[in-house]
Amino acid sequence: MTAELRAVIAELLDLDADAVTDFGLLVPADSHLALAETLQTHGYTAYVTVVATHFPQAKATKKNPEPDPACIEVATVLRRPAKGTSLTFSWRVRVPEDGAVDSLVALFAGADWQEREQFDLVGVGFDGHPDLRRLMMPDDWPGHPLRRDYAIETAHHPWR
Amino acid sequence: MSSLAQTTPAPVRIDPHLDLSDYEADADLMVLNLGPQHPSTHGVFRVKLVLDGEIIIKAVGYPGYLHRGVEKLCEKLNYSNLTPIFDKNDYLAPLINEQAVNMAIEQLAGIEVPRRGRWLRTLLAELQRIASHLVALGTFTLDVGGAIGGGSTLFLWCFRDRELLLDLFEQLTGCRFHYNTTCVGGQRHDVPAGWDAGVLAALEQIERGLLELDSFMVDNPIFIDRTRGVGVLDHDLALQLGVHGPIGRASGVDLDLRRDAPYHCYDELEVPVPVRTAGDVEARFQVRLAETRASIGLVRQLVQGIPEGPINAGKPNTGPTTIKIKGGSCYVGVESPRGELGTYLVASPKGPNPWRLKIRPPSLHAVAAIPWLLPGHNLSDAVAILGSLDPVMGEVDR
Repeated sequence: MTAELRAVIAELLDLDADAVTDFGLLVPADSHLALAETLQTHGYTAYVTVVATHFPQAKATKKNPEPDPACIEVATVLRRPAKGTSLTFSWRVRVPEDGAVDSLVALFAGADWQEREQFDLVGVGFDGHPDLRRLMMPDDWPGHPLRRDYAIETAHHPWR
Repeated sequence: MSSLAQTTPAPVRIDPHLDLSDYEADADLMVLNLGPQHPSTHGVFRVKLVLDGEIIIKAVGYPGYLHRGVEKLCEKLNYSNLTPIFDKNDYLAPLINEQAVNMAIEQLAGIEVPRRGRWLRTLLAELQRIASHLVALGTFTLDVGGAIGGGSTLFLWCFRDRELLLDLFEQLTGCRFHYNTTCVGGQRHDVPAGWDAGVLAALEQIERGLLELDSFMVDNPIFIDRTRGVGVLDHDLALQLGVHGPIGRASGVDLDLRRDAPYHCYDELEVPVPVRTAGDVEARFQVRLAETRASIGLVRQLVQGIPEGPINAGKPNTGPTTIKIKGGSCYVGVESPRGELGTYLVASPKGPNPWRLKIRPPSLHAVAAIPWLLPGHNLSDAVAILGSLDPVMGEVDR
């Protein structure tokens, strides 16, 4: 990441320049689309992937009487296709379990199927996606298999 | 090369989400399902084609027929038990898939693979690339019409040559296909005595086979008619779709992770990266052919300079062992024969298995390009375009 880009991102997100890292930066949901656009104009033109990770609410214990509410983290990875050194940039957006993030389809055509897959398997929404349908599972499949609290030992329609 | 192939075509993009009620046609539209079991889809994949006469006006892809829940399974297995599952994702390049997941685990666990281990990984990855490209080239000659490849002659020649490599892999690991030879921290199997001579002999035979393939296809006027200007993917769209690798390089995307983000021992090698700008089916064929030759050159260098030393950071783990990682996440990308194969690993804060493991399969991105590539083409070109993408459905659906 160049110092120039670091400064641009710091200004966009209202952060210290030192706090900007190129892996796993946690970004507010309303800056998601703006950050992707900034990166695209600064050379991160290659779409890599989007990963949604489910974190269910932990059980309340004596040590931790009020655990964080359940959430889904959506991580996006972009790549700068430069001859010699190609760098990636990835950031995370945290949304509630039934929440949604802005879709990147308008910027990156590859986000179309990738976001459909995360919608299908993890159950996170993507606002502004032109065709948000399940990609892998049948249309009438109950639940989202890659949620951490999805019971895999019980019978599932129609195969078990 | 003629001037036709050298000019970069102006990007003509068709909306893949075309609303059919907006389409005015004199003729009735016809819907045709290509697949799920169609030889040109190289697996189980369905494309719904909307045809106006013989011209495709819309293509909708339906993956998922091979979905086996690999990512969910990973959440239940120890880190050291993941490798054999990844063999079955991209079953034409299992060694590279094994390496990808193990590199991610090693990065989070802070394990460094010794140089000989990394060297062997590099060597095996390049051999695997040759084997995988031979299948891609061979099946593609079938896809563009049996008459060009002399019925199934070229296809079988390619498979004959690939068999030599599978024999070598068998000598090394005991398996022809699903090797399970990479483990966290290095390699499980060391090269047997005399193996390098076998590699060099196989390479010579493969090089002769490539010459035959070259003389049969590259300047063949029928082949050029079928492939030139067909299925053009422009440079910017390739980047936006995430189609890196040979397909991207045929569209002028000069990106190869072996050279630009080196891993294993690639920083010690000069990796030639063939690039074409036409972006059509012919360019993809030429890139794969050139890449196979480049890999042969790399293997020759690698096999003659295997360094001394251990192949594994610790003892090779032959049974289930517990690797402890305390939280954290990482993204690791490697160059598979189909493009960037990524692993995004989120480790459990405690416990010996991943919290979330996402594979970034290059074939899924290639298949996602189908709705962009097919519209505007004749139905008969659909098969050639699908074949030129060389998707492996095992890794598309996971």
